[in-house]
Order: sequence, then C-alpha cells, then structure tokens
Amino acid sequence: MTRRYQATGGDIDEQNGYRNVFDDEQQAWADAIVAKYPNPRSAVLPLLFLVQSVEGYVTEDGMRTVANMIGLTPAQILASGSFYTMLKKQPQGEYLISVCRNISCTHRGAYDVIQALSERLGTDAGNTTADGRFTFETAECLATCDGAPSIQINYDDFYDVTPQDAVALVDKLERGEEVRSAAGERVRTVREISFETATAGARLPGTAGDHRARTVGGEAQPSDFLPDSRPKLSHDEGSHSG
Amino acid sequence: MAEEVRVVTKRMREHTEDSWTLQRVLDTGGYDGARKAVVEMAPEELGGEVKSSGLRGRGGAGFPTGVKWSFVPADVSPKYVVVNHDEGEPGTFKDRELGERDPHQLLEGMIIAARAVGANKAFIYCRGEFALGSRRLDQAIRDAYGAGFLGEGIFGSDFDFDIVLHRGAGAYICGEESALLDSLEGFRGQPRLRPPFPAVKGLYGQPTVINNTETLSTLPHLILNGSEWFRQWGTEKSPGTKIFSVSGHVNRPANYEVPLGTSLADLLELAGGMQNGKEPKAIIPGGASAPLLTSTDVALDFESLQEAGSMLGSGGVVFMDETTCMVRNTLVTTEFFEHESCGKCTPCREGTWWAVKVLERIEHGDGRQEDMDLLLDICNGMDGRSFCPLGDAASWALRSGVKTFRDEFEQHVAEGSCPFGGGERVHVGARVGATGLGEAGITSQPAAGIDADSEPEAAQP
Ligand SMILES: Cc1cc2nc3c(=O)[nH]c(=O)nc-3n(C[C@H](O)[C@H](O)[C@H](O)COP(=O)(O)O)c2cc1C
Ligand code: SF4
Ligand code: FES
Repeated sequence: MTRRYQATGGDIDEQNGYRNVFDDEQQAWADAIVAKYPNPRSAVLPLLFLVQSVEGYVTEDGMRTVANMIGLTPAQILASGSFYTMLKKQPQGEYLISVCRNISCTHRGAYDVIQALSERLGTDAGNTTADGRFTFETAECLATCDGAPSIQINYDDFYDVTPQDAVALVDKLERGEEVRSAAGERVRTVREISFETATAGARLPGTAGDHRARTVGGEAQPSDFLPDSRPKLSHDEGSHSG
Repeated sequence: MAEEVRVVTKRMREHTEDSWTLQRVLDTGGYDGARKAVVEMAPEELGGEVKSSGLRGRGGAGFPTGVKWSFVPADVSPKYVVVNHDEGEPGTFKDRELGERDPHQLLEGMIIAARAVGANKAFIYCRGEFALGSRRLDQAIRDAYGAGFLGEGIFGSDFDFDIVLHRGAGAYICGEESALLDSLEGFRGQPRLRPPFPAVKGLYGQPTVINNTETLSTLPHLILNGSEWFRQWGTEKSPGTKIFSVSGHVNRPANYEVPLGTSLADLLELAGGMQNGKEPKAIIPGGASAPLLTSTDVALDFESLQEAGSMLGSGGVVFMDETTCMVRNTLVTTEFFEHESCGKCTPCREGTWWAVKVLERIEHGDGRQEDMDLLLDICNGMDGRSFCPLGDAASWALRSGVKTFRDEFEQHVAEGSCPFGGGERVHVGARVGATGLGEAGITSQPAAGIDADSEPEAAQP
C-alpha cells in the first residue's frame, strides 16, 4: 500500500494541513476499493464517490484525503474528478432529480416535466432547493428511452413520467415517504447511492470474491503495481511516489 | 408479420420475473457455453469459431470480434478483458437492459473472451448512472464466485479468472474505448492516440480486449451452437441477430432482437407502428451519431445502412413523426455533443459550441439567411479533423439535419420563429442543467456568445 498518513476520521493531519474525512470503517472500504486494481490510481473515482458518501459532496478535504492515500497530488485528484458530472463540488440536496433532455425524451414531453419540476421546486434546473432537500438537473440520454420521458432520482429510474407524476414524486419524498422506482427499487439518499457507487465490486478482506491476494499479490509493494499507461511528464516524476 | 428472433434476449423475455438470478440462469442452460469453452475447447478453437462466425462488434464500430482478438499478442502477460458497459449513445438502451436482466449471460461471455485470449482478469466498466444494473451485476459476480464459475480453477480446470466491477462517473466520451481506458486508470476520460491499439497496448499498457456488452452476451450461444448455426441469420457480411432499441413516436418503444438485414419497416411494425397513425418524418437508425433517414425502406445491416448514407452504429432507432421540429432535434443532438465533447481537440470543442449558438438563434427566431451555410462550414471544420470519432459524429448529425431539412431551417429564419412553437423553451439546455464537480470537457464558455450584434471576437474570454 502506498498510504502515507496515519490520521483517522475527523482528525486534522497536522503535517499536511487537512482533515481526514474517513473514519476506520470508511477507511476499510477505501482500502478494499484500492485493492480491486493493479494500480491504485484506478481507485480515484470510486474513492471520490466514497468522499461524497461521507461529506455529501466532494470536499477539498476529501480530495486531499484521497490524494494522500494513493500518493498523488491534490491537483491530480481534482484534474481527474472535475471531468465527471456525477461527482459534485457543491453541497447537494438529499435527492438528486435528473431529467433526461435528449431526443427521445424531448419528443415525448420532457420539457413539460422540466417545467413542472421547476415550478414545484421553485428553481431552474442546475440548482438545489433552499431547504437542501432536492437538487434538480437535466441529464443526457439515460438509456431508458423506452420509458421516455424518463427521469432518475438518485440514479434509480422512473418511466413514462408525466408532469403530474414528477410533482407527486417530489410531494412523497418531501413527506418522508418511501418512493420506489419503476423496477421496484427503494430510492436511496444521495449519501447512500454514493456509497453504493463507491463500493460496487469492492470486497472487504476475507469475504467471498476477495481476489486481491491471488491476482495482485497480497500486500504487494508499490513497485509490483503495474504502471498506468500514460506517457510520463517529467513533472509527474517523484510526486508523492512513496 | 414481422417477428423477433430471440437469442440474446431469450431468457430475459421468457422469465421476466427472475432472469437475472443464478437459479433461473442454471435452469435455462446458463454457463454451458462458458463451461464448454473452458473445459472442452482450446483457446485457438474459440478464436477460430468466433472468427468464422463473422460476429461484428455491437458497440458501434462493427469491427469483427474474432479479428480483433487475433491482434492480441500471445507472449505478453498479463492481458485484460474490458467490457464496455458505458452505454450512452442517445436512443440506445440495449446494454442497460442486458445488464439489468441477464448479467450472468455477460459474465459467461467474458469468461469465453478471456479464455480465448488468455486473460485472467477482466473489468466491467459500468456506466455510473446504471444503479440497478450495477446492483444486479455485483450480485451476479458474487453468485458466480460462489458457484465456482469465477475465481481459482473455474469449472474444475486450471484456468483462473477474476472479474472486477468498475463504475463510471458520468461522461459519454468514456464509451470510446481509449477514453474508457484512461478513465479506468483514474484519469480524465480523454481519447488516446492510436496506434498502439488497445489489443496491443491497452489497460496499464498491457494487451487488452475491449468489447461491448451485447457482443459478449452473444458469445455463450455462439460457442454452444457453433458458427454455422449463428450464420443462419443475417447477411453474409452482417451475420446473426442484433438488438435494436426502438424509441420516439412509436406505440411500443422497447428493445427488439431481429436478424440483421431485417427492414426498418418491419422493425417499425414490431414496435406497434407510429403513434396516432402518423407517418415517420425522420428516423435515426443507429444512435444520435447516425445521419437521418426519411424512409423505412432500408435493410438494417452494416452495409445497407452505409449505402443509404447512414450507419448501423449502436442500433438505437428513433422514429420521429411530422409534429417534430427538426431544428429542435438538431439543436438537442448538437447540445449533447457539445456537452460531452471532452475538450481535448479544438475542432470538436469549439465547433460544437459555436454550432449550438447558431442553432439556438435559429430555433429562437433570430437566425440569419447565411446560418445554414455557416453550420455546414462548421461541419467541414470538424469532420475528419477531430481527434476522435465524437467530433466526426457531431458533424454528421448536424450536417444531415441541415441538409435533409433545410426547408424547415429556412422557414424558421424567414418567419422569425419556430413553426412548431418550440421557440420559447429556452430554459433547458445541456449547459444549463448539469451540476457536476465539472462537466466533461470545457463547458464554462463566455456567456455572451454570438447574438445578433456581437462580433465573434468580442465573445472571446
Ligand atoms: C464517442 C464514442 C462513444 C462510444 N460509446 C460506446 C458505448 O457507450 N458502448 C460501446 O460498447 N461502445 C461505444 N463506442 C465504441 C467503442 O469505442 C468500441 O468500438 C467498442 O466498445 C468495441 O466493442 P465491440 O467491438 O464489441 O463493439 C463509442 C465510440 C465513440 C467514438
Ligand atoms: S473529437 Fe471531441 S471528444 Fe474526441 S478528442 Fe476531440 S474534443 Fe475530445
Ligand atoms: S433520450 Fe431520454 S433516456 Fe434516452
């Protein structure tokens, strides 16, 4: 492992000047995530999802925690993370409502759904409600065009959504009632779904399917890790390499 | 009467309640193909069978799968198999359904591909937004380990094979295979220069086979029944069956599996015909990247669609009736490409952005006579000049919109408004809505843009 710090959840790492966002249990998951890959850098995105599950969004302390854990600079973490729409830099609502605005949905009434949600939530797409319950965004094709217009709430799907349906879903969530997706899945909170995304495919040591010991070589030293296949820039060399 | 031929979609259509569970899979011949591949066949035989079947990749490019595998050097190790489960091509939803409803079939296909090329580890790059699919895949992987289909010495052989589930984080470009690899290595998902191709130098610089979910899901049936059996459907150059995702103004939008070479008219009939008895005005035959068709009199195979000036692409078929504003359609599509442009190369990053500005002003009634030619000029600046096919695709979709429906564009300009009444819907747009840490590519462009009286220079930051 290339983990460098000793601090645990909530502690300020005096030497590096940031707050480590993972407690012991979260750290165990973080280690299990890193163990999935021959090169720890592959764990950057799942680890940022883990940060999002702890913090509610990707905080600077979270990025520094990840950077220090896998031996990269905070700038490298930001560079990777800032490319992706599912990693949020602003505090998020508990429920993220994503309305598909692509062709099939547009042609089957997505604009009316967006309009209705804007009015119900009192905000345009791209914003979070004042009470912090909802974030509302437009999305590109969600690969559910057979249910157009379709929306996701924290990435679980709803099909053939009318403006009335969309408003009713918000009403239900606001009342604290359980909401189920088209497939019958319980809609998760933003922290729950971020945790699930972070830990998909990760196995805590000793549990079924933990194949780290065999394919990566147990407590492998960093030198055993395969390199990433990008050409090295000279200023990459030596950055947090040990 | 048009009919489906269900090979890859058989289990999920016949067992809608539990097609994703190991029990149901085992009851319906699951893992027989993988077992045969590992226990009874030599790796070279597997490759040979897939090559002679003529199976072509279902992810969009249509490259022959067996040929791709043959580029993998035998003497380099480790090798990897990577599944492209990042489906994001607008109008396409087959991989999502396959992952949700028949995850074991995909795992089985992965075992076969890995055995054929000598890989002991594979990754599934699962689109970040696929929450249900990821849950089902993760459970299937656990169950497959439990049953001895994954892990050490699978099916009692000396072949070890591990599968790692990896989630994307929201970026269409990561479906492009080299961008996918960069993303999987923890970088921004931007395409790589090729050659070297992934088969030679891919993940972590090692030989890597990247295949689409549908391609791999076809393998268990192909290996179990042989290439002759597979070739009973389709055409000489496009053999087999293919899943088409049908959506838009049809009565029964859904995935339909038909032999390649089936006519577009038959596919429309399968989907219950057009809503309200209307006529199709425009059809996207292969995802938003594919140029528009205006007739259903065309066969759905790689060659025929190319001859018709379009492409089979991912198999996402969108039907649009006469109520559809084609300027709006072109705008929505171009906004998509603008939003998903990774920003690495200038023609695509800038071209899509300017094209959206011009399309917006046409749709909102501020278009100019010269705008149609301006758009075509922007297309010429992107087509063949972009670093990866996303920029090309953006230009194809845009050019075909302008060329095929130029009269509608001109009507917008002449009347100073959208004849379909869509002009006032200005509050949605890709650049307005997404709330990410950053978005794919360079999106925080100057807000002013080009309007009626600003010079392009004045809009630069
Ligand atoms: C912009 C772009 C997006 C793509 N998106 C996908 C995708 O979502 N899924 C996919 O399987 N292939 C996608 N492809 C094609 C892949 O690059 C690659 O050809 C494919 O995964 C290879 O698998 P196959 O040979 O089994 O089709 C995309 C290509 C481009 C240029
Ligand atoms: S064509 Fe577009 S998506 Fe492809 S490398 Fe260039 S900017 Fe990126
Ligand atoms: S266009 Fe909306 S889900 Fe595909």
